[in-house]
Amino acid sequence: MSDGSPSSSDGKIPLLKVEGLTQDFATVDGRVRVLQNISMQIERGEIVGIVGESGSGKSTLGLAIIGLLDSPPSEILSGSIVFDGHEMLKLDASGLSHFRGPGIGMVFQESLAALNPVYKTESQLKESIEVLRKAQKLELTDTAERDMMLEILTDLRLDKPEVVLKKYPHELSGGMRQRISIAMAIIEKPRLLILDEVTTGLDVYVQNRILGLLKELNRRTGTTMILITHDLTVASQICNTLYVMYAGRLMEEGRTENLIKAPQHPYSQKLMAAIPQGFADAPALPAPTGEAPDIRKLPSGCKFHPRCHVVMEKCKTEEPPYFETSPGCRSSCWLAQKT
Amino acid sequence: MPFLLLVGAEDMSSIVDVENLTVTFRARGGGGFLFERGKNTINAVEDATFHVKDGETFGLAGETGSGKSTIARVLVGLYRPRAGIIRLLGREINFRNKSDVAYLRRNVGIVFQDPVGSLNPRLKVREILKEALIAAKALDKREFQRRTEEILEKVGLRKSSIEAYPRELSGGEKQRVSLARALIVPKKLLVLDEPTTSLDVSIQAQVLNTLRTLKSELALSCLFITHDINVIKYMSNTLGILYYGKLVEVGPTYDVVMTPKHPYTGKLMANVPKLERAEHEQEVLADLGPSATGCIYSKVCPQKFEKCADPPPMFNVGPRQFAACHLYENSKALH
Repeated sequence: MSDGSPSSSDGKIPLLKVEGLTQDFATVDGRVRVLQNISMQIERGEIVGIVGESGSGKSTLGLAIIGLLDSPPSEILSGSIVFDGHEMLKLDASGLSHFRGPGIGMVFQESLAALNPVYKTESQLKESIEVLRKAQKLELTDTAERDMMLEILTDLRLDKPEVVLKKYPHELSGGMRQRISIAMAIIEKPRLLILDEVTTGLDVYVQNRILGLLKELNRRTGTTMILITHDLTVASQICNTLYVMYAGRLMEEGRTENLIKAPQHPYSQKLMAAIPQGFADAPALPAPTGEAPDIRKLPSGCKFHPRCHVVMEKCKTEEPPYFETSPGCRSSCWLAQKT
Repeated sequence: MPFLLLVGAEDMSSIVDVENLTVTFRARGGGGFLFERGKNTINAVEDATFHVKDGETFGLAGETGSGKSTIARVLVGLYRPRAGIIRLLGREINFRNKSDVAYLRRNVGIVFQDPVGSLNPRLKVREILKEALIAAKALDKREFQRRTEEILEKVGLRKSSIEAYPRELSGGEKQRVSLARALIVPKKLLVLDEPTTSLDVSIQAQVLNTLRTLKSELALSCLFITHDINVIKYMSNTLGILYYGKLVEVGPTYDVVMTPKHPYTGKLMANVPKLERAEHEQEVLADLGPSATGCIYSKVCPQKFEKCADPPPMFNVGPRQFAACHLYENSKALH
């Protein structure tokens, strides 16, 4: 890290390796386990999806990876997060900041809250360019900076980019704001981009545009991405690998095509069944009953068992480990146990 | 009005007729760059005609800003149309007449998109429901308890939730409270404005199931508004597609989804997310917005030709299916 930016390795080790990550939050109601034994491995150039309902811990995992959770209240009990060969959990605030931006970038769900309301697009993007300039010790003239901004906005298919540069966040539509947030992150050329519900609340058309742009960015620059979403259809469009989360745990992981064709875990099956299919004469949706559990009062055994349609006695008392169902596919369900 | 005769199935009577509805807002500043029709005014909805039939669900789909919610708000008397006719059960609504608006509100219930913003945080569920009864001048104290319990059960809420404040309920439960509030006094029409957009897929599925059960139990007529094509095709019998305030296509949901006639509808349907990896690379085009003159879609339309310089009328393009597009100039035109 002599040049102040994370050194790039030979590419043989995975870009991100999370192992046995267990994390608590200290709250007024006592300690709450928000992540339990999370392990994941993300290769360079991959797009990985993390899917789950609200409160499943998917955003927490994203924030933990980029190191944005304050401690206290959060406390990492065990595990490791290795980004490009560097152990992130051992770094202090200034060490971490070397990795943010050009190392790991993040785009948040609420573009209105993520953008400074009194800054024009121009100034928002300038902040990001500043980070890049410092990290790479670049000499940039004002014209070069402006060209960079225009180029990135054009890449994101914003009409009249020179007009957009002069606009405040409230003057832009949701889809445009979300693209500005993405522009702010990608201008720093991150090697890992974490996208937290970036298409939620946007209509299909804008959503598809953003997914298309992300895919294009991934192909062109090889940026590795983590897409966090509650919508399996969104994740399935652009992700190579999917992780399904529930109550702070990983329930299932696998290649996208395998997972959506033959989901192994009953929870993944139910999530898929919840997507409306057919017309008004189609039968009722076999959605999971009940709601995601309160993370402060989790059930015993498998955390999904009260809502599971194939629950067994064993599920009520013993939490299943992660079973390998096929190469690269794992499911945390007793049904996946090979006898 | 030939359109009225053609769109409706002859055996069903109309609950609501919306004819040539135009809603205009005054814009501060230069009128924005989204809508540039006219100076400093925005036509959020322009010349929209459709009918909600007895017992059916009419779906309105379109992108953000297409005017879907504006139509919803006109139907409960929150906005006043600039032009056009709204008829509820055959009675024409004069929006300047208080008793007409009261009549509209008594008979049309609404569920809004945002479950947090649409429930008073300082009232318990019991009081929220009571307000609806007071508003409808239907509060009978002896009957109140029975009616509340009945409606809570119908919308799938626990009995104990009656003493809860909105913040103690989950998103799905809040939407059920909104639904209970809309239906505690029987309504002729239920307007659902993006009722599941803020919910998780699994909770959305539960609420959609409840809505379908309620619809058949109470023989409800609904106007269902959403940008989610998967949802609207699952919920509606008739579908209207809005593009920047213009109704570009109307017809039976199956036909509009399976054989879209308007180029915009075709594009919208092609964009419906499916549960699969998108293998074909779609070219992402710049967002050009509506055209200020002629056909509203002509700025973006790949099939544009000379005629598109004039605004197209609605053409009858199939059984009960209508599209506002010059490609069908050989079909019978309306208006």
